[in-house]
Amino acid sequence: MAQRRDVIMSLFTTDRAQVQTNKGDAYYQNLFERCRARLDELKAMAPLNAIDFREILEDEGYDRREFLKWASAATAMLMLPPIFTPLVAEAAELMNRVPVIWLELQDCAGNSEALLRSDGPKIDEILLDIISLEFHETLMAPAGHQAEAQLHEAMESFKGKYLLFVEGSIPVGAGKEWCTIGASGETFEAHLLRVAADAAAVVAVGSCATFGGVPAAAPNPTGAVGVMEVIKGKPIINIPACPANPANMVGVILHFVMTGQVPELDSLLRPKFAFGYRIHDNCERRAHFDAGEYVEEWGDEGAQNNFCLYKMGCKGPMTFNNCSIVRYNEAVNWPIGVGRGCIGCSEPDFWDKYAYERPMADAHIKAPTGGVEKSVDEFGLGLLSATAVGIGIHAAASAVAGKKSDEGEA
Amino acid sequence: MKNTYTTVKRMSGAMRIIHWVNVISVIAAVITGLYIAHPYYQSFIADPAVDKYVMAWNRWIHLMGAILLDITSVVVAYLYFFSRFEKAYKKLIPSLDNIREFGQVFINLLTLNRKKEFSSEHGDSFNAVYFAIMHLMLIFMLLSGLQMYVQGLESGISSIGAWWPLMLHLATDWTLVVFGGNMEVRIAHHMTMWWIVAWVMFHVYYQVWRTIFWKEGDIAIVIGGTKFVKKGN
Repeated sequence: MAQRRDVIMSLFTTDRAQVQTNKGDAYYQNLFERCRARLDELKAMAPLNAIDFREILEDEGYDRREFLKWASAATAMLMLPPIFTPLVAEAAELMNRVPVIWLELQDCAGNSEALLRSDGPKIDEILLDIISLEFHETLMAPAGHQAEAQLHEAMESFKGKYLLFVEGSIPVGAGKEWCTIGASGETFEAHLLRVAADAAAVVAVGSCATFGGVPAAAPNPTGAVGVMEVIKGKPIINIPACPANPANMVGVILHFVMTGQVPELDSLLRPKFAFGYRIHDNCERRAHFDAGEYVEEWGDEGAQNNFCLYKMGCKGPMTFNNCSIVRYNEAVNWPIGVGRGCIGCSEPDFWDKYAYERPMADAHIKAPTGGVEKSVDEFGLGLLSATAVGIGIHAAASAVAGKKSDEGEA
Repeated sequence: MKNTYTTVKRMSGAMRIIHWVNVISVIAAVITGLYIAHPYYQSFIADPAVDKYVMAWNRWIHLMGAILLDITSVVVAYLYFFSRFEKAYKKLIPSLDNIREFGQVFINLLTLNRKKEFSSEHGDSFNAVYFAIMHLMLIFMLLSGLQMYVQGLESGISSIGAWWPLMLHLATDWTLVVFGGNMEVRIAHHMTMWWIVAWVMFHVYYQVWRTIFWKEGDIAIVIGGTKFVKKGN
């Protein structure tokens, strides 16, 4: 079973960054039929909790029309043609058939917070409420041995079926013993390996769980790494960003519920529907980038006119994410929209390599000895100075020594 | 006795054209590349964005310079092995003769022309190695630059067909793995620019130095294709 899943995953994973938004009628017809069969199968299963999705929607003040609007938007986000809209709507209603275990490792709980602290539950967030969350270290009431027992029970009863969500990095270095969980003092690494062993797929949520994030920033005292460095031989889906966008989490779950498969991933195991394009490609300030209109300092004339934030260190041109389209908090706003640059939070090593709020040329790089930090351009100018000094010494010595080429001259 | 000088051909017409195309392209790429990495002058605020296209023009010039360098790189790579004039690879083979010549030319430079125990009639191993370093740096710039470029062609389509982004991915995706990500490829590309500028500084100095100290008119090679060597001591 695990092997078959890996084969399926490899079919859906190409190393190429290319995003195909139209795979042809035959492909979609085939996919549609497979989804139909999968949803019928799920529908026959007993729900894992008694939550009725329609009832909740009504309680929260959403009518059917608004729900269907959401369904067509979600279909488009998953890069599926409109015939899939009814299936997406159905999959949303069947979400309580999929058991989810959520682990909280070395991080700030920001991804859970992003879901919990929204001003009012949006359809995306309601969906995350109705998934059958069997275990969530931050949210659950039990503690200690009771919590352990609950995790054990969930793992036993949904063996091989549950989706494992992981939030936070895993310390594997010299500092791994600082991070333990539960009464038995299990390290995060052992805990993750144990729970992941019987998961259907592992979803790493947020920058820490995907690439190590802030805990892995230099000097990385705990040797923090992302989930994909620890778990091998399991389908892994990375949903980076700090915090991960709830819309993308829902997208991945919807895709899994609907197709039983992992969405198409890029070489960093990020779903292409969300991380296929750069922020820069769909940025509302792109025209100012091309025009050479940049914010020079915070609050200047340019900033008041929504100029491009490239010179303030915006990393949109090298960051793959869909925030410029989906935005955050039900498309209310996003970092560049509020007038500050992108810090590249969905790319590996973002804290050291992207978040320094200066253009790349002024990025600090470490000397080969790991010592003094210089910016790229400072290093370059140092290199030129050294060359100039060398040339100068040679030229001066040559001038003093004089030309020796008078042999044979009468 | 008076020296007699004879003329020796050192660069073919094609090589000289390639040289000057490279000079212009590198200068253009450095000026615009520095702007792309950190825009160092401001556009006039009074113009609306549609009327000016400063970053876009900088990128256009940078890419045009890059395309010219790509073409000359392919031609140079061909000439290394198949030139009818001088096959440059012959001076790169680490044979005993080449290593000795490399050492002699280097000693000539260090002893400020006190020792000159090699023939300056033909291209020497020292310069062949030095030029090869430049060619390798240009090829690296080509591949790392195209990686950054293909990041904007996510849909896998282009005006000249789908083969183009596909080929770029196949040819350049390894840079992401080697350097560790989008940003590291950019830093490597930017840093290599500084190495190229340092390379150019020494190259120009060394050719001028040769002209002054060897008294064989070396600087004329890149313009007329020939230099002079003394005959008849």
